[in-house]
Amino acid sequence: MVNAKSAVPVYEQIKRAIKLAILSGRLEEGDRLMSLRELALKLTVNPNTIIKVYDQLETEGFISSRPGAGYYVKLDSSRGRKREQSLFREITQEYIAEALHLGCSIEDIIKEISSLNLEAILIASKKDNGND
Amino acid sequence: MIDIKGLSFSYGKNRVFKNFNLQIPDGQVCLITGINGVGKSTLLRLMAGVLRPDQGEVRYDAKLGADPRRKIGFVSDALSLYESLTVAEAIGFHKSVYALSLFDDSLVQHTKIGYGQKVRELSIGQRTIFHLSLILSLEPEVLLVDEIIHSIDAYLRRIFLEQIVSLLSKRRMTVVMVNVNFHDIEHLIERVILLKSGEITVDENIDDLKAKVKKIVGQNQPTSLNVLSRIDYSDHSEFFVYPFNDRLRETIKGDVVDLNLTEIVSAFIGGEYA
Repeated sequence: MVNAKSAVPVYEQIKRAIKLAILSGRLEEGDRLMSLRELALKLTVNPNTIIKVYDQLETEGFISSRPGAGYYVKLDSSRGRKREQSLFREITQEYIAEALHLGCSIEDIIKEISSLNLEAILIASKKDNGND
Repeated sequence: MIDIKGLSFSYGKNRVFKNFNLQIPDGQVCLITGINGVGKSTLLRLMAGVLRPDQGEVRYDAKLGADPRRKIGFVSDALSLYESLTVAEAIGFHKSVYALSLFDDSLVQHTKIGYGQKVRELSIGQRTIFHLSLILSLEPEVLLVDEIIHSIDAYLRRIFLEQIVSLLSKRRMTVVMVNVNFHDIEHLIERVILLKSGEITVDENIDDLKAKVKKIVGQNQPTSLNVLSRIDYSDHSEFFVYPFNDRLRETIKGDVVDLNLTEIVSAFIGGEYA
């Protein structure tokens, strides 16, 4: 899950994966997140990295901690759709940067997006949510 | 904090360090790397107190007490320890020397180490794990890990790393590792120190380092950047550059490729052999 080659720092990669899981509903309100130790062990990353991830997720209104009991998904509802939008923007920017990097032009990218079979993607994403 | 001040050290006429300085704050996980023979292990030995500096000193925090060596764990395959004892005898001896009430056998349980086996009969991997358990039972504040991870198999290495991650999540511990190959430890590392001819040539936080070292694939050497090393192919070359700067992306002809830590260190070291 963690890409060692990416210039995106590891804590940023983990943070984004958790945000995606929460915003897409794979992790639901009230679900308990893995403990610092469990997640650090699972990913073999420095526990300090996980502390940073959870701290930032808490500040950004994705999770909350209960002293002694761990971390839970708790979306701060006052922030509305802004979070989805900013995550979407981040992913899009990276996708476009990657495509430009591969030598595509902006026109190529737009052409590619409009030629996509959106119906198939919608069905796939529904299946995805259903499975988890 | 580990505070190395004005340290000089020679093996006979061969000078390894001259007026060397380095500070490592508490709780940091630090990697020391560089080409073979640059003095990585020597530095670790000096930090462990196994070797004495000719000049200068390695100072530890007051919180380690009057005898800091007791709170410094040094894991190395070169150490021979309780060779002629059985595992059970070695544990008993270790407990009595250090007045320990408990030996944590959780690591040993994962291996096929028998308590009746002689220590010298253990494989290098088993010996390392056993040695590590003895050290960890002293609850060290500082763990120095020499280049041993290479000599143990993938399963034992995994156990070894899990134990370190687990400990780090329980309490702060300073860890200094010496290595040149690190696909499985790279996400533990917070700071990378590269040694060259007895001096520190790179000292970076891991995230900064990854942002600053890139591979540029193209025809011509980028003139705006410092090239560490290059690999030439028939129709293109790869240039390893440092420090890279995101603002330069526009001006560079060629692809900019991100690198993992092993590739980054190879890029630095490759330049030294060229």
